[in-house]
Amino acid sequence: MDKRDTFRPNVLTSGHRACSGCGEAMAARMVTDLIGPNAIYVNATGCLQVFTTHNQQSAWQAPWIHSVFANAAAVASGVEAALRARGDPTPVVVQAGDGGTFDIGLQCLSGMIERGHDVLFVCYDNEAYMNTGVQRSSSTPHGARTTTSPPGRLSQGKHHFKKDVLSIIAAHHMPYAATATVAYFPDLKAKVEKALSMQGLRFLQVLSPCPLGWDHEAALSVSVSRLAVETGLFPLVELEYGSVTGVMRLAQQRPVEDYLKVQGRFKHLFNSKEGAVEVRHLQALADRRIQHYGLLDTPTEWDTLRATQVQRHGRGGYPVMGEDTVQ
Amino acid sequence: MSHLLSVDPGSTLAYHTGDWRIQRPVYHNKWPPCGQTCPAGEDIQAYLALINDQQWEAAWHQLTQANPLPAVMGRICYHPCELGCNRKHLDSAVNIHAVERYLGDLALQRGWCHQPLSTQQQTQQVAVIGAGPAGLSCAFQLARRGYPVTIFDAQAAPGGTMYNAIPEYRLPKSVLSQEIAAILALGIQLRLNTRVGLDVSVEALREEFSAIFVAIGAQQPRIYRDDKHPTQHSVMTGLDFLRRVNQGEMASLPKQVAVVGGGNTAMDAARCARRLGAEKVTVICPQQPHGHHHGQAGTEIPASAQEVAEAEADGVVILYRHGVRRLVRSGEHLSGLELAQVDQVHDRHGRFNPKLFDGTETFLPADRVIFAIGQEVDCNGLDALLQPEVPGVWMGGDAAGKPRNVATAVGSGHQVAASMIAFLGNTTSFDEHHQKAEITFKDLNINYYPKLTRREAVSENQVLGFQTSVPSLSTDDALFEAGRCLSCGVCFECDNCWHFCPDAAVIKHAEKYSIDYDYCKGCGICAQECPCGHIDMIRD
Repeated sequence: MDKRDTFRPNVLTSGHRACSGCGEAMAARMVTDLIGPNAIYVNATGCLQVFTTHNQQSAWQAPWIHSVFANAAAVASGVEAALRARGDPTPVVVQAGDGGTFDIGLQCLSGMIERGHDVLFVCYDNEAYMNTGVQRSSSTPHGARTTTSPPGRLSQGKHHFKKDVLSIIAAHHMPYAATATVAYFPDLKAKVEKALSMQGLRFLQVLSPCPLGWDHEAALSVSVSRLAVETGLFPLVELEYGSVTGVMRLAQQRPVEDYLKVQGRFKHLFNSKEGAVEVRHLQALADRRIQHYGLLDTPTEWDTLRATQVQRHGRGGYPVMGEDTVQ
Repeated sequence: MSHLLSVDPGSTLAYHTGDWRIQRPVYHNKWPPCGQTCPAGEDIQAYLALINDQQWEAAWHQLTQANPLPAVMGRICYHPCELGCNRKHLDSAVNIHAVERYLGDLALQRGWCHQPLSTQQQTQQVAVIGAGPAGLSCAFQLARRGYPVTIFDAQAAPGGTMYNAIPEYRLPKSVLSQEIAAILALGIQLRLNTRVGLDVSVEALREEFSAIFVAIGAQQPRIYRDDKHPTQHSVMTGLDFLRRVNQGEMASLPKQVAVVGGGNTAMDAARCARRLGAEKVTVICPQQPHGHHHGQAGTEIPASAQEVAEAEADGVVILYRHGVRRLVRSGEHLSGLELAQVDQVHDRHGRFNPKLFDGTETFLPADRVIFAIGQEVDCNGLDALLQPEVPGVWMGGDAAGKPRNVATAVGSGHQVAASMIAFLGNTTSFDEHHQKAEITFKDLNINYYPKLTRREAVSENQVLGFQTSVPSLSTDDALFEAGRCLSCGVCFECDNCWHFCPDAAVIKHAEKYSIDYDYCKGCGICAQECPCGHIDMIRD
């Protein structure tokens, strides 16, 4: 048991095999530490499952189960039903990548939402199948290079658009669906805590930069995640029963080039005329999302500046369990 | 083989991912530019941090470690710290001098006392000649380390130039005397009206004292030579003028006054002249205005930009690039000055020697001319002390050279005290902080600092008089300004490194963090996302 840190439980502890600078490991550590060790975690196949459970070693300091790629939501449904039958209030959390949410796991997820299980589903969205070597997923953004959407004479990277999975989930008329990312911890914390306080199916999509697949410096994971929000490409929003109930306003909109230029997966857009068109296309997509969610004009105090402002003497922010409650 | 089939998994803690690393993060305090540029060597970031935590008295003790005169300095220092402040690249510099003044005033109001650093009483006696900022600073540093110090001063009151030459509206005498009293309360002997070399012999001094600090300032004003009229009728020096103003001897002035010189003394003299009823006060200086140096050092007016702006606000006219050709007199009566335009301020050897253009002469009517063209050190009677072979004698403050200002003098006194103690105790000097690395604006991650408008002190007193006109901050504004400090290079526990570490390799403790190098993969996110540049990545 890892008790190095008295300010958080380290549900996802050290020694895992994630790449240096992994955004998903960062996101999963934040989310699971906010939930705490007294929950049952169901993990779909993906990077997170692979790098945390290796050679009979587990990085999880909480009950954790992995089955197959498609059925994490179905397993969680069963776990939740069993707990409910026993009158056990332990929360059930599904963790999946974008493959296990947008593509392979979507059917089981939709079924679980439709049946109204009391489960928190967290999708760590790194916008491709990174674990198997960066293949495109339906979450991969337009214009991005992956090994299965290579740029070349006839292609400027992925032709199709990123699937708007949040709208699909919200269209189930379910309690809570939100987006978050690692760069804004106070925002992520508020959303996890809100989700935990609610009943029924809650869905959280956390954008998690991947230095390997996105081809950026390991040190830039947080900066890239911040730029995704500041450019409007990844809006931070909350939906309850299909309606937008909260957005994080952009204090200042930045051009998409700021986000694209630091990532190798968009490099080809900057050395051809066709690429320049796609940059403008991505700008238009960002503008559309900003307009759709009112990211510049929503009258809210919660904006990108407030969510990044640091304070002297940080006090952690995670619920810390006493010795006796940690299993 | 049974252990391979075990269903009980081990922990990944057994696997040390630190092996993957090619670079490692290290926490490293830097020396912020405010402290670097402070001539008195104040650790400005440290006391602003304490103010931010509302530890006012601790902040004052931190500040007075380097400078025992904060209420004085907050008023009269030309604050180079604010020119160095990294925040100026984000919005505008932290209002450091106003916070310093607020803290100094608070200390006087609450009667905080300086604490001795050691209870051990030293036996070697130290003499300080001159009770100006350098002498007081040196005596302060020695006294709080247990040395018996005696200050000699030729004048009737301590303070040196601060007492003599700085007008009441910039520095009220009550503030000066209170801060000096707090320093002397450490047990320093003060012998006023005692001129060393005249009232006390140098030999007697050397016999009694193991170390001597000569901080006699630059009290001898340079005189404009007007050969025909050695009586200097209607002509005076800036320092003499200010001295007489400060002693209340100057009741009034004629209507038209000309001040020659571009330094802070000239600005003080001109502003005092306005306050004494002169309607037209003109400052004649050979240099360019601020911001027009054209890449050449020393071609700008030497007075600080703030002094110039305040003088102009008082209605003083500044005539740049002009020099005095001669005094125009009818008999003994002074009718004005003949001016000419200046070509170059320095000659080809780089010496100050303004060259005037022929044919550009103009006449400036003046009833009184004040020459503030520099001061010299008056070493009269101290020659026996100032021989290179005499051990245990230091020189500092204005007497030691330029730049001549109060902050530099305080810093000089501090340094002398450090080397004196090293000399007396045969140890190394306690002066240590310049070994820390510098930190520039590009080392900061400004995403974490929102823009905040600088709060200025508001002056209630708009009348041109000798009441203090330096405005002060409110408590809220002082706290706000301290909170604007970016804490360049010094950790302020924002938790970023700890939150963002993907490998849980940053451990949070009660007041700091540590890095578990067994697991740190060296990604560099902590260093990248540290707002203040406190974390360095070094090759493993």
